[in-house]
Amino acid sequence: MNYKLTIGWLYPELMSTYGDRGNIISLAKRCEWRNIEAEVRRLELGFKIEDLKKCDILFMGGAQDKQQSIVSHDFSTQKIKTLKRMIEDGIPGLYICGAYQFLGKYYKEADGTIIKGLGILDLYTESRGKNFKRLIGNIIIETRIKKLVGFENHGGRTYLGKNIKPLGTIVKGFGNNGDDKTEGAMYKNSFGSYLHGPILPKNPHFADLLIQLSLKKKYKQPFSLAKLEDTLEWKAHEAIANRLGIGL
Amino acid sequence: MLNSIVVIIGKIVSSISSSLKLGHGSTWPGHIALSINKNFIKEIVKQNSSLKIILIAGTNGKTTTGKLIQTILEHSGKKVFQNEAGANLLNGIASSMLLHSNLLCKINYDYGIFEVDEAALPLALKEITPDYIILLNLFRDQLDRYGEVNTIVKNWQIALKKLSSKTTLVLNSDDPQIAHLSNVTPIFYFGLNDKKFEQAKHQHAVDSTYCPNCKSKLYYHTIYYSHLGDWECKNCGFKRPKDIFSTPLSTKLDGVYNQYNILAATLTTKIIGISQDSIKSALGSFVPAFGRQEAIAINGRIVKILLSKNPTSFNESLRAIKNLNAKNVLFVLNDRIPDGRDVSWIWDVDFEDYIDTFNIISVSGDRVYDMAVRIKYASKTQNSKLKSQNYNSKLKIYRNLNDAITNSVKSTPGDKTLYILPTYSAMLEVRKILIGKKIL
Repeated sequence: MNYKLTIGWLYPELMSTYGDRGNIISLAKRCEWRNIEAEVRRLELGFKIEDLKKCDILFMGGAQDKQQSIVSHDFSTQKIKTLKRMIEDGIPGLYICGAYQFLGKYYKEADGTIIKGLGILDLYTESRGKNFKRLIGNIIIETRIKKLVGFENHGGRTYLGKNIKPLGTIVKGFGNNGDDKTEGAMYKNSFGSYLHGPILPKNPHFADLLIQLSLKKKYKQPFSLAKLEDTLEWKAHEAIANRLGIGL
Repeated sequence: MLNSIVVIIGKIVSSISSSLKLGHGSTWPGHIALSINKNFIKEIVKQNSSLKIILIAGTNGKTTTGKLIQTILEHSGKKVFQNEAGANLLNGIASSMLLHSNLLCKINYDYGIFEVDEAALPLALKEITPDYIILLNLFRDQLDRYGEVNTIVKNWQIALKKLSSKTTLVLNSDDPQIAHLSNVTPIFYFGLNDKKFEQAKHQHAVDSTYCPNCKSKLYYHTIYYSHLGDWECKNCGFKRPKDIFSTPLSTKLDGVYNQYNILAATLTTKIIGISQDSIKSALGSFVPAFGRQEAIAINGRIVKILLSKNPTSFNESLRAIKNLNAKNVLFVLNDRIPDGRDVSWIWDVDFEDYIDTFNIISVSGDRVYDMAVRIKYASKTQNSKLKSQNYNSKLKIYRNLNDAITNSVKSTPGDKTLYILPTYSAMLEVRKILIGKKIL
C-alpha cells in the first residue's frame, strides 16, 4: 500500500522567523526516506478552509508582532472552529513559540492590554515588559519520549490551565515561564513548545512521533516506522546536551 | 583637559594590548574612555567641528560600503579614517576617535567613517550629529541579540526624527522598511534598475514583503534579493521612490549585494562632490575588506572568504559563488556572541537551490553537526531505498577547523578556487589559520 501524508504549514511566510522551516523539511524528508509520500500544503494568508481540512499534520511557527497581527485578522471564526475541531479530533500538530502562544486564551502585554488568542488550548501568556529579561538560550527538557533539545528566545511567560499537560520538564533552561519548570504543552495529539533550533531536525524521535501519530490517525491502524540512519541528527542533539553539561 | 588624559590613557592601553596581542584592541580604549567620561564622543566631535562624519548602518554591507567610501575619498586626496570592522558599538567608535586624535584631542582628518551596529544607531545619534547617514538594509539577524526587524526600524525612525537639516540621509530605495523612513533632512535614494540581477522568486528568509504603511502584501515588479526590489503597495499606493540613483560602477566585488554597497558609496561620494571619473578610477583599485570576498593565495590555490552571517548574506554568498562556478566549498558555523548563539537560521538559507552544483561540501565550526544535518536534509533523495537517505557523499565533516581547511585546500585542484563561507567569529578563525595571525 502507498501511504501519503499531507503536511499543513500554517502561514509559512508570516509565521516563520527562527528557521522553523526546518521542521517541515524534517517531517517531509523523514517520510520520503521511508517511501511515505509527503505533500507540503502551504496555507498562506487567505487560505481556504477546505485545504486546512485535508491536512494530516499541522505546523505553525513563530512570528514577529506585526506579522502575528496580520495572521490574527486572517483567522476568521470559521477557520478557528475548523482548527479547533481538528485539534479536538486528534489531528497531530506542532505549534512553536508565537503559534503556541496564539493557540492559548490570551496574551497579556505589560501595560495590561489583552490580545485574544484562538482559545483552543487552556493556557495564557503574559509579558512582564522591558524590565524583565527575555528567556534566551540553549534548552534541554525531559519528556515521555526522552529528552528534547533546542534554543528558546521569548519574552512572554506562558502558564498552563488545568486541562492541559506540559510537553516536558526543564533539565536546563527556562521553559514556559522560568518559574514552574514546565516546558510546552500537549493536548491530544497537539504539541506546543518554545523550542527553536529548529526542534525536529535535532530531535528525530519527536519528528517520528508526529509522523507515526498521523499515519495511525489517517489509516486507523498502529504503525511502526522503519528505522532511519540518524547518526548526524543525534550528534547535533548531543552537542547541545554536552554544551549544557547533560549526559544522555 | 580631562579628554587629553583620556586620550593618553586610551593610546597607552591600545599599544599595550596590540604589542601583547591581547585582542580587543579596537574596543578597550574606547570602553575605558567612556567609563572615565561618558560624554567623550560628544565632546571630541564638538571640538573637531570641521571633521565630516559619515555613519553607516544596516544588517549587511556596512564594512564593505565604508571601505569603498574611504577608498574613493582617499583617492581624491582626502584624509579619512574608519572604525575597525566589527567594532561598531559606542566603545568601538570612541576607540577609533581616540586613536586618530592627537594629545590635544584634535583629529587631523577630513572624514571619519563609522559603521554602526543596528541596535547602537539610536545611541550613536545621541552623541553624534553626522553629516551623512547611509542606511543599507535590514534583514533578520541574530534575533537573540537584536530582536526583531520591526523593533529596530521603530527605534531608527524615532532617532532620525530628532535630526536637523545638517544631516543628509542616503537610503536604499529597494528595502521597503528603509525607504519608509522619513525625517526633515535631505534624502537621497539608491536602488537597482538592472534586470540582469533579477531573481525569479522570493527566497524563504524574507522579512519585509508587507507594506510598512498599511501592512498589505507588497507587489514586486522586480526582486533583486531577499525583500529588496522594485516594490509597490497596491492597497495604499506607497511604492519605491521614483528618483533613485542606480548606476553601479564596476569593481572586483561579486554578488548582487555588493551592487548595493557600490551604489551607496558612489551616491554618497557624488553628493560630497567627488567627480564621476575620480570615483571610477578609485573603484578600479579597490581591495575588499578582510573576509568580504577577500582572496588569499595558499599553496598555489586561491582561497576566497565570503562572510556569511545570516540567511540573506548566506543566500547571496551562495548565489555569488554559484555564478563563479564554485566546486569546492567549506561552510563554517560558530555560535559565539558575535555569530548569534541560535543557529536555527541556517534552516532559512536556501541550500536546496545551490548544493547540487558543488563537488565537495565540507563543514566545520562549533556547530558542525547542525550544519551537517542541514546539508543532509537539503540533499535530493536519490531513491526511496533506506540506505540512500545517508547523507550526500559530497559532504565532508570536520570537527577541527585546521583539518577542514588543510583538507579542503588539498582537495582543490591547482587552478581552482576554494570558497569558504564562515560566520563572523569563524571568519576570524579561518583567517588566523590561513594567514597565521590574529586580527582582533
